[in-house]
Amino acid sequence: MGMRVNIEGSETVSLLETSITGVRVGADIPLDSNARSTDLGSTVLIEGKILAPVGGEAADDTSKLAKWSLVPAEKADCYRKVKIDVVSASQIVRQITVPNAFVVGYEEDFTDETGAGTFKLLIKQKRDKMSNLKFEGGFSEE
Amino acid sequence: MGFKLKVEGNSTIELDKEIITGVKIKTDIPQDSNARSTDLGSTITITGKVLTAVDGDPFDSTRQLGLWALVPAENADCYRKVTVEVISASQEVRKYTFPNAFVVDYKENYGDLEGTGTFTLIIKQKKDKMAQVSVEGGYSIA
Repeated sequence: MGMRVNIEGSETVSLLETSITGVRVGADIPLDSNARSTDLGSTVLIEGKILAPVGGEAADDTSKLAKWSLVPAEKADCYRKVKIDVVSASQIVRQITVPNAFVVGYEEDFTDETGAGTFKLLIKQKRDKMSNLKFEGGFSEE
Repeated sequence: MGFKLKVEGNSTIELDKEIITGVKIKTDIPQDSNARSTDLGSTITITGKVLTAVDGDPFDSTRQLGLWALVPAENADCYRKVTVEVISASQEVRKYTFPNAFVVDYKENYGDLEGTGTFTLIIKQKKDKMAQVSVEGGYSIA
């Protein structure tokens, strides 16, 4: 499966299937609720590689993710629109749009044994805007 | 991947790719936040080797890291400027600058099976100075 991530804010971050290695999407609902709870949230984990550019190509957009994770809460730019496409056999299996996403965790990992670093980005949709989250899929890629 | 660590304070500590084996960078944000939190921090974990000098080479400066970890909070020298660089294929993949870094953990490990010791250094940027943290990368180095 290929995954593509597109983040729009004051700058656009575009990461393709060559750098994304995994996406995990989940709904956060209190597990101890006795009936359907109104306390609903959503967390998305995106994992990928930090590639070093070779042959004069442009650097990947992962350093913009690191910068986004450091934007203070006072700036409107800390909320960005995130679109995740899961593509397989020319079909969009899932298209998840998180229109008011903010970062709750960001990690980069580099070792001397591998040629590429890895990153983990954990984002959430702003809790009061949960109804704007879109969960689509099952159509063919244009 | 190669790494460079530079710590500037009362004295300058420089550690090169022969010594550092891994770097982990983490943005610390409360994961239970419902919207973007102002409680933002950043942690760097650096792992490496403690080498023995041979052929009259000067000793590596890992001992200076141990001394830095012991500087009391009353002394201004406990805050130092840290630059971590990740280099691959003549490209500067990342350059992190923490201008007011302090040590939260330092460990050295020695065993009779290895020829070198290992160290782990965990540093944080002073939390009220988070805006001064800089992330650069994605350019080629001459």
